[in-house]
Amino acid sequence: MSNNKVSRRQFLSYTLTGVGGFMAAGMLMPMVRFAIDPVLQKSEGGDFVLTEKKIADITDVPERVDFTFEQVDAWYKSDITNAAWVYKEGDQIIALSPVCKHLGCTVNWEGDPAHKNQFFCPCHNGRYEKNGENVPKTPPLGPLDQFEIRENDGFLEIGKAIPNTLV
Amino acid sequence: MHWNGKDSAVFQAQKEYIDTAVIPLIVIDGSEHGFGFAASAADYTLSLANLIENQFKGRIVLFPSFSYTTGQDKQSLLEIWKEELLKADFKYIFFITSDREWSTMGDEHDVIWTPSVPLDSMDQKMRNSVLEDQLRQLIPIFAKKWAN
Ligand code: FES
Repeated sequence: MSNNKVSRRQFLSYTLTGVGGFMAAGMLMPMVRFAIDPVLQKSEGGDFVLTEKKIADITDVPERVDFTFEQVDAWYKSDITNAAWVYKEGDQIIALSPVCKHLGCTVNWEGDPAHKNQFFCPCHNGRYEKNGENVPKTPPLGPLDQFEIRENDGFLEIGKAIPNTLV
Repeated sequence: MHWNGKDSAVFQAQKEYIDTAVIPLIVIDGSEHGFGFAASAADYTLSLANLIENQFKGRIVLFPSFSYTTGQDKQSLLEIWKEELLKADFKYIFFITSDREWSTMGDEHDVIWTPSVPLDSMDQKMRNSVLEDQLRQLIPIFAKKWAN
């Protein structure tokens, strides 16, 4: 009998742990939710962004194509304008990310007159071949990223950046 | 790079590559006729500065703007900024502004003056293309400084 009795001390400690635990959970839950939320959120309307570039107009010379999308950065939303270097290789359309793999500057096609047929990064003279492969002995240590692309009614759509598949 | 915690860590690890500071100079004008113009010019300068950051992300740190009022002795304020930034080992310091008063001081102070374009009435696309145009004109100024 006496074993089942809850002493005053036990009672207090049970209730306090209970309350404390409840409070802790109350504090933790929103934090966990916030931490996970942005990751779980899928961007609406699919991952592809429609550009104004006609597929038929794409040539074998890389050309800059801008595209704007809504970025959810943690819990801020903003309109981001991004760009891609787009060209045709045979039948295939290639879209490369302009973000230098060294420290993130924007690269330009034939940005250095001394190096035709290459992408050039003005920040520390990084260079890339047309397929995005970094030129050895320049600062970048990897190739330019590529974008997923698809066609929509004759126009180019650009998707997410993926590791370069050409080199 | 931006002036924030995350980028500052990169900066400190890569000082050898990230060697340039960019500071927008923004005039605050409280007078009735100057107010709107100064505000719109600030919008323009800051948008342009952001684009510069995006283009040269791996080489520059874009600082929060340095704002002053019309009556202030901006020259000495500028010197104080420079002194402080040199402590952080920046090799190049650029100020960018569309406040006309700087236009005469020009090169020796590393102040890049660009006339402001009123962006307010433009849609996003127009804005971007105006700013891109400006950026293209600024790239050689940076390149030239870096080259020597
Ligand atoms: S950021 Fe492109 S070479 Fe350094």
